[in-house]
Amino acid sequence: MVCETPRMAGEADGLPIIRVENLTVSYGEETILQDVSFEVFSGEVMAVLGRSGCGKSTLFKAMIGLIDNVTGKVYIDGELVKPMGEGGTEHILRKVGVLFQSGALFSSMTAAENVAFPLRQFTKLSERNIERIVKMKLAQVGLSGREHYLPSELSGGMQKRAALARAMALDPKILFFDEPSAGLDPVTSAELDLTILTITKTLNTTIVIVTHELASIFNVASRVIMLDGDEKGIIAIGTPAELKKSCSDSRVQQFFWRSASSEAKKEEYSKNS
Amino acid sequence: MAADDYQIHAYKKSFDVLSIKIAGSISMDNAERVRADLIRIVEDESLRDVELDLSSVVYFDSSGVAVLSDVHEACEKFHNELKLVDLPEKVRALLGDQGLRTTAYEGILQPRKQPSILVQIGEGLENFYTTCRDILVFIGAAVEGLTRDIANPSRARWDSLSRLFERCGTDATPIVVLLSFLMGGIMAFQSAIQLRKFGANIFVADLVGLSIVLEMGPLLTSLIVAGRSGAAFAAQLGTMRVTEEIDALAVMGIDPMRYLVSPRIVAVAVCLPCLTLIADIAGILGGCLVAHFSLDITPTGYFNQLHKVLEVSDVAKGLIKSFVFGIEVAMIGCLRGFQVRGGAEMVGLATTSAVVTCIFMITFSDAIFSVLFYYAPQIWK
Repeated sequence: MVCETPRMAGEADGLPIIRVENLTVSYGEETILQDVSFEVFSGEVMAVLGRSGCGKSTLFKAMIGLIDNVTGKVYIDGELVKPMGEGGTEHILRKVGVLFQSGALFSSMTAAENVAFPLRQFTKLSERNIERIVKMKLAQVGLSGREHYLPSELSGGMQKRAALARAMALDPKILFFDEPSAGLDPVTSAELDLTILTITKTLNTTIVIVTHELASIFNVASRVIMLDGDEKGIIAIGTPAELKKSCSDSRVQQFFWRSASSEAKKEEYSKNS
Repeated sequence: MAADDYQIHAYKKSFDVLSIKIAGSISMDNAERVRADLIRIVEDESLRDVELDLSSVVYFDSSGVAVLSDVHEACEKFHNELKLVDLPEKVRALLGDQGLRTTAYEGILQPRKQPSILVQIGEGLENFYTTCRDILVFIGAAVEGLTRDIANPSRARWDSLSRLFERCGTDATPIVVLLSFLMGGIMAFQSAIQLRKFGANIFVADLVGLSIVLEMGPLLTSLIVAGRSGAAFAAQLGTMRVTEEIDALAVMGIDPMRYLVSPRIVAVAVCLPCLTLIADIAGILGGCLVAHFSLDITPTGYFNQLHKVLEVSDVAKGLIKSFVFGIEVAMIGCLRGFQVRGGAEMVGLATTSAVVTCIFMITFSDAIFSVLFYYAPQIWK
């Protein structure tokens, strides 16, 4: 049974901007996700959680059409998302920005050129205005002054932030983040959370984050979806605070308790020392 | 968006202040039009400060900030002040603490200026020195690793050798056979046209046999293997370098030279002479086929003539050459892979460089061998 808590009044009270209907994804004989359905509302920050191998990244890729062998439907802003290979999805993809786990920056381009790339592809803005937007986006992620750096000259965290700037370049309606905090220090990770909140506030961007970071979840997520590898689908959906408080599913509690127990251990340790 | 998705209303608020009110949307679709309209107004009223009212803007994205930056610069050009009034909360948030300062135009997306010719020559010489040094260091390390492996075969890491033999040797056989067969046929056909004029048809066997065994066989096979295995080694090891797999081997106490390079050198050095032998046979058969059909030479006559002219030492010369070419191909492929720094683009460059260097080195050493094989017997006597 799916543990579900109501959406909080006032939080993300927009219309559904992403609708996933009976999504099933298989790799060969193995089914990763079975009949997954949910909605993400405009302006919402939706976190997708779950243990390693439960299908979080698969769900993320299926939602943006990166996987071919899916059944079920995904609608973004009311339009059906088809697999990339079938074409005709450019106008949907313009509304979407994606931050991949590795950053996926183009190694032959500087940080500035990476951010300028989607602006040059999708808009008719002058080079002058493209540069202004590029500088603004890089400043938003704390990379002012590093415009000329190649990805190989940036640290892992900086690469991730440059990739975030690229994902945000077109001010998309929806941003997908695949484990944005992976490999980042806690300070940068917290800064990233702040950036995420600022984006949602300023541009009413809907954000879907695949993450393990409990701190990030409680800081930024309006709602969470918890996936389970054995169930091959959603076992809980709701606000993080409500799920932690009222969901009786042991797997959900185990996830949240891990944070609680580690916090308690830290407190105990600091008292003892 | 529609052409009328924004409205601009400008009026003189006072003697020295021009008020501009924008309503509607400023998005990436209409930003250039909004910018052009605003700049025109600001330039027409170049003696007045500008007060920009954005209270009626319903959509404003990053391109709006870029437009405001342009207007700000246009005002500054005429020493006028730009004042933003009644900023909606979202616009204020988008401008952030730094306002328009972070978006000043500096030409960061312009192509980088080429350094002067002297700097380029200097960089070229430095690169040449570094490359020569890297090659020598690499050759030294590879020879050391290989010597250790040969001296102590039980401790060598030969586990990948059978797979390498398959990839470099077995998998390359069909293309080597096909191309050598065609090459033998082409040579026979081209020479047949000339030899027929002199009634020297039978010498087509001499021509095809000697050129295939001494030159075309080793050369063609080496070039095929350079294109297949040399490029593959560079790409594979380059990717391993980028993804830190080579560093991972090193920290586990495994010498990457012995684990990755030695088996590749052995594999190609063994496979290339074998492939050359197969290429020799295929080329001679190709020549025989064409000679039979275009010059009416029987296969028996062709092979009798070949037997008279071709010596075992000729075949051995071809095999010695291909053995050396094999070592060169493997070492260049691995060297280029090890030299990769950065990302995917560098892997591509390394692969290209590996093939080009292999072709050059093979041709260069072939020239040396030609001279050596001609003069060595005379000196020996």
